Amino acid sequence: MFHKVLIANRGEIAVRVMRTLREMGIGSVAVYSDADRTSRHVRMADEAEHIGPSPSTESYLRIDRILDAARKHGAEAVHPGYGFLSENAEFAAACEDAGLVFIGPSAESIRRMGSKTAARRTAIAAGAPVVPGIDHAITLEEAREFGCAHGYPVLLKAVAGGGGKGMRAVEREADLESALRDAASEAERAFRSGEIYIERLITKPRHIEIQILGDRHGNMVHLGERECSLQRRHQKVMEECPSPLVAQHPEMRGEMGQAAIRAASAAGYYNAGTVEFLVDQERRFYFLEMNTRLQVEHPITELATGLDLVRLQVEIAAGARLPFTQEQVAWRGSAIECRIYAEDPYHNFLPFPGKITRLTRPLGPGVRIDGCIYSGWVVPMEYDPLLAKLAVWAGTREAAIERLLRALGEYDVSGIRTNIGFFRQILEDVEFRAGRLQTSFIDEFLERHGPPQPPADLAAVAALAAALHTLARNGASPTRPDSASQWLQAGRRELLR
Amino acid sequence: MKLLLTINGAENVIDVLALAPACRFQFGDAPERHAHVETPEPGVYSVLMDGRSYDACVEETPNHLVVSLNGFRFEIEARDPRRWSPKAAGRGGDGVQTIASNMPGKVVRVLVTLGDAVEAGQGIVVVEAMKMQNEMRSPRAGKVLSLSAKEGATVAAGEVLATIG
Repeated sequence: MFHKVLIANRGEIAVRVMRTLREMGIGSVAVYSDADRTSRHVRMADEAEHIGPSPSTESYLRIDRILDAARKHGAEAVHPGYGFLSENAEFAAACEDAGLVFIGPSAESIRRMGSKTAARRTAIAAGAPVVPGIDHAITLEEAREFGCAHGYPVLLKAVAGGGGKGMRAVEREADLESALRDAASEAERAFRSGEIYIERLITKPRHIEIQILGDRHGNMVHLGERECSLQRRHQKVMEECPSPLVAQHPEMRGEMGQAAIRAASAAGYYNAGTVEFLVDQERRFYFLEMNTRLQVEHPITELATGLDLVRLQVEIAAGARLPFTQEQVAWRGSAIECRIYAEDPYHNFLPFPGKITRLTRPLGPGVRIDGCIYSGWVVPMEYDPLLAKLAVWAGTREAAIERLLRALGEYDVSGIRTNIGFFRQILEDVEFRAGRLQTSFIDEFLERHGPPQPPADLAAVAALAAALHTLARNGASPTRPDSASQWLQAGRRELLR
Repeated sequence: MKLLLTINGAENVIDVLALAPACRFQFGDAPERHAHVETPEPGVYSVLMDGRSYDACVEETPNHLVVSLNGFRFEIEARDPRRWSPKAAGRGGDGVQTIASNMPGKVVRVLVTLGDAVEAGQGIVVVEAMKMQNEMRSPRAGKVLSLSAKEGATVAAGEVLATIG
């Protein structure tokens, strides 16, 4: 087993990996940019190395500096976390060339699963279902033929694309010609390539993904699904295991699990990975893409299966065989996670970095927080707004929802804005409680609901607190001076800093 | 002690008749109420009222107070009505509009110069935070009267970047 591992990441995932390393008796090396000197992952690590200025292109994305840090500290392996260099085949190869073990799949597997079209070809070859479509640049005539054969609506996508640019949904054949022209010209401007391909449009799909885990000896299992349909701007915000749909149709877990294993095996995959599927309203599932790394939402799988995925990743990287078979994987109860972001859900989800002036975390039964924040920390404006992941486990989905509501109510992050209140609204929603989830759920939810309206009694209490606070600030003591004056003075000093 | 409160945009008057801990107050048109109030932590008000327990957390921002209570968020601006004058509150009167940053971040682009004529909806300043860019636009046609935004500068939420008149 390794003695020391470098974590090529920051924030909550670096902290998450270090926790397991410490439990395994493995030393951890943090890397940090200028903005992260006082970040939790640096304070928590056994060793730490500065790798450059705040912009990630000059620090967390610099392969050379990360490898230098690993050499300097004598690390034997590198955990990439998620984001940054985690799905960069060149980085995985560079680690191996430098004599470091990359805790993840091979560079070759990352290449084969990294590009959407290459992954799609691998999935087709492995017999995994994909959304019907034509993989190469099409002409209007080909698009018409496809529409006739597969029916409408269809989706036009840029071959070189991403981020929704050059993408058009077409409801009927009459609109096809103009849509193709618009999509091609938009793609031309965005990617200097006007090539467009076509797929059948899956309306109101669910996004359900399968966690897989394989060793370097040819064994692979799936660890079940995660429902990730709650998204905003293609970013997941809340995930659960089991999926409410799969809970109703338990045979889906095995079917999707086997399809995921087939696709990943075809790419010679090992270590942890996630195969994403779209599921249509007839419960047919289609391979979407593969994430060749540990997923942000991995804690819910850990809560439902009782496994530590990071420990398994490290053991597999060190050459161990999978310590269990598919038959030995068991799921228990229900786990839900929400991603706590520094953003203002009631002002168009604008990011809101800044200093955390007070922090109270939820505690108690069935609550897990993967976070990196602390009171007094200034959340940097240079990186992702993810502050923490709050996950709960309970015996049933209903109990997990009540537990998550309870935990969110205990969560107080002051000084910045967060989406904590927004999650409480979603969890109270009838559609959510019924498990009727799909990828446009949040957009439709926002159309149905405005900001939450507080009960009148709460407004009176808030007004009283604000009034007492203002009067205290202006000289009148809001409480007995003998019992609280020093605390109040300290508090005022703190607030006025 | 009367205070004029703007709570999430709506104006209310609160009259604090007795200070904490044995607090008496009148809020809006409602009858006088009693509440027992302690501050167990700085900025935290434990309120017992009509047998119910509330924990209100108050934080100060440059422009107002933010009270968090039972998962709800109240933005409250408190003013002493005796000191209140229409002049002080009428910033932006005579049709002068301020462009303030709606999030903390860094100014990445200033799209106008002082004295420029601008159209309604024209971009004035772009602020970036956490990989997201946000363009602040002019709410009216007019002239750039002041421009405090500088490229590369860090700004707070609510900080005035420019005025248009």
